[in-house]
Amino acid sequence: MRRASHAFGHSVSRRSFVKGSALATGAFFINSRNSLAVLREDPTSPFTTPWMQPLRFPNYATPLPSWQPLDGPPVDPQAHQHFEQFQPEYLYDYTLCAAYARPHPQLGFSLLSTFCGCMPGPTFMMRYGKPALVRMKNCMPNSIPNFGSPETTTHVHNGHHGSESDGTPFYQLQPGSFRDMHYVNAMAGFTMTAGGDPLEAKHTLWYHDHCLDFTSQNVYRGLAGFFLLFDDKDSGNENDPNPDAFRLPSGVPDGKRVKNRFDIPLMLIDMRFDQNGVQTMDTSNMDGHLGDKYTVNGLVQPYFEVERRKYRFRILDAGPSRFYDIWLSNGMEFQHIGNDGNLLPAPITTNHVKLGVAERADIVVDFSQLPASTTEIYLVNRAEQTNGRGPTGNTLPMDTAPKLMKIIVRKGSVQDNSRVPETLMPLPARDLPVAQERNWHFGRSNGMWVVNGNVVDINRCDAAIQRNTAEIWNISTAGGWAHPVHIHLEEYQILSYNGQPVTGTSLGGRKDVFALYPGDQMRIYMKIRDWVGRYVMHCHNVVHEDHAMMIRWDIVP
Amino acid sequence: MSPEPEQPLSRRSTIAGAVVPAALLLLGGCAGALRRETRSAEPEIPARRGGSAIRSDGTRVFRNHRLVDQDGRTVRFQEDLVEGRVFAATFQYAKCNGICRDMTEKMRAASELLGGSMGNPIRFYMFSLAEDSPEDMKAYMQAHGLYGKPGWRFVSGPRDAITDIRWAFGFGEPDEELDQKLSAHTGMVRYCHHATDKWAACPALGDPRSIALLMLRCFPCDQRPRIEALEGAFAQGGTPMPGYKPIAPVAPPSDA
Repeated sequence: MRRASHAFGHSVSRRSFVKGSALATGAFFINSRNSLAVLREDPTSPFTTPWMQPLRFPNYATPLPSWQPLDGPPVDPQAHQHFEQFQPEYLYDYTLCAAYARPHPQLGFSLLSTFCGCMPGPTFMMRYGKPALVRMKNCMPNSIPNFGSPETTTHVHNGHHGSESDGTPFYQLQPGSFRDMHYVNAMAGFTMTAGGDPLEAKHTLWYHDHCLDFTSQNVYRGLAGFFLLFDDKDSGNENDPNPDAFRLPSGVPDGKRVKNRFDIPLMLIDMRFDQNGVQTMDTSNMDGHLGDKYTVNGLVQPYFEVERRKYRFRILDAGPSRFYDIWLSNGMEFQHIGNDGNLLPAPITTNHVKLGVAERADIVVDFSQLPASTTEIYLVNRAEQTNGRGPTGNTLPMDTAPKLMKIIVRKGSVQDNSRVPETLMPLPARDLPVAQERNWHFGRSNGMWVVNGNVVDINRCDAAIQRNTAEIWNISTAGGWAHPVHIHLEEYQILSYNGQPVTGTSLGGRKDVFALYPGDQMRIYMKIRDWVGRYVMHCHNVVHEDHAMMIRWDIVP
Repeated sequence: MSPEPEQPLSRRSTIAGAVVPAALLLLGGCAGALRRETRSAEPEIPARRGGSAIRSDGTRVFRNHRLVDQDGRTVRFQEDLVEGRVFAATFQYAKCNGICRDMTEKMRAASELLGGSMGNPIRFYMFSLAEDSPEDMKAYMQAHGLYGKPGWRFVSGPRDAITDIRWAFGFGEPDEELDQKLSAHTGMVRYCHHATDKWAACPALGDPRSIALLMLRCFPCDQRPRIEALEGAFAQGGTPMPGYKPIAPVAPPSDA
């Protein structure tokens, strides 16, 4: 029997949320099923009937028309680099708050940490050339149960932003305080070339908590959302009259507005629930946390109805520690068009994409190619993984691989004006001379994650890099763990992977996170531009990140 | 929370002493029971190494190993070290020629940063990996200026018991040989606020200011004192909101 779920996967408007909160002040939910129950550690989640609920989407983040807030202290332009050059056109008034949600009708209600009361958080629909300011207010309670921290810091993953707006672990936002984040929405290189380098455009970003020591717990309990950027080429309009526009499948769903929307963000998080159906996490497991329930946009095994035409899926592995090998259950091919939010130089025809934590893949699936008799297929994960250390390397058989989402294919043909061009985004030229080459070795010593043999110290600068230069970094791993290595601020180009070139492969595009398996080596070229300040590089198995597999690097004038 | 006496307490009195402010208790029990039932049987702890279980009130229970401290006193792990306490735990041994000395110095510096302002509610435990005798543990503490310092304890016990505790804290190695290799022992510190089941870990070889600050974060935000010595250890990134009140989560509908 279906039950209405409460506030999961769709946003609660701030006005209604605040109103509801006022009425509920002092009334804390008591789940009577918990009163005498004993919760087991590492539980097997209760059985849930799959495909009971439709895939849901958060609302768009709604901007205010002026960058000065309606209430509260005014924005301080002096706190932000390049503020005058990129004066915001919009202000987003964002609230971090606790909210109850139920990811499946047969599970209990879990107390999540959320952006604006919904999980995933509202979708930012940003455009290049339209700077924005986000006032992030922490309205979390002073304590939250079990795992997670009410302190937060919000990071736009893959964002090219000033250090003061990057949401790094250096800046913790306590309950009762706010921070203004300035998102310039400009192409990287804008201090070197007017308007920046258009080949540096990126499109599928995401934002998430980055609280020191608690990132895995906070993201797992709900602090994540999509941050999408559009420009003249990836314009978000498949009927765009601009001849330079790619006209990829367009229309991102906005809450319940899903009709005629064909640009679909999918956030994957694997979760685990105790015997009362409440979300649980073993915070003593330092290898990584694996859930036994697959969620898509916060719902356990939803279904999604499609027309017989092309769809763009923006697939995000939001962790905490699972790796994916995404297939469609009928083995059909699709176009892999984007890596970590960047459009590839050319689409790659393939039937699967692999994702480590924080990696994204944009794919275009053409359901019109299906036979009329095919009315349902599944999104499946064929990567075998038995613990948080990483995948085994085995590919699960298609018929037994976990199914993430059911895709129901409607009958009848529909008009489809979208297309997938034969070429997309060339790689930016590697035209900045290399100022320095550095080596970074991710390892383990005395049970501690280390980089170049050192434990993290956020008060120590591990590399001081001059602004507007380029470097080559050689990144390697050892031991029995897979490490998706992420570098803030800039994307890089992989020059070689284990000594082999990557041109023509899916690794041949720009990347900001790359899954390194034990013994892997990666050589990258990276430009470091436009800003000064502190940034980090870290393993994005967020459990490793929380136990300090991180270095700090600074950009100096 | 007021400091607790050093003598081992009975379990009942320990529980009574661990009652926390009402607001914290409510928040800590949100996802579980708020009614404190008469304590009957404890939840079953899984038989595996490092197993623990979570009670209906959200607190965690471990095997109640019998240990001995630097003064030769018997110490029960769950009752005397864990129950209702806030603590930081490291694993080392008195004759270590490796990282132990550095770890101890860093942890001592962190405790000194925290101790003066807080009346020592945080305990600092060192668990012996080598079945150290009370005499050896006492000598080690004296050498590091820790003997007699409030909140500090060096405890030892059978190797299996310490291994079980170490694994329960997440510091086990899947390779058995490596796991038992003394010279490769963990340099992590596990910190915990038991009443709210808040657990985290960081390298004990890091900056003492960072260690201290991260330990403070196990406390609910409104129970955390400001410590001048830690101001600017890393930037607290927010501007206070005038007239701020936390937004209470809307209670979900009860099941039909």
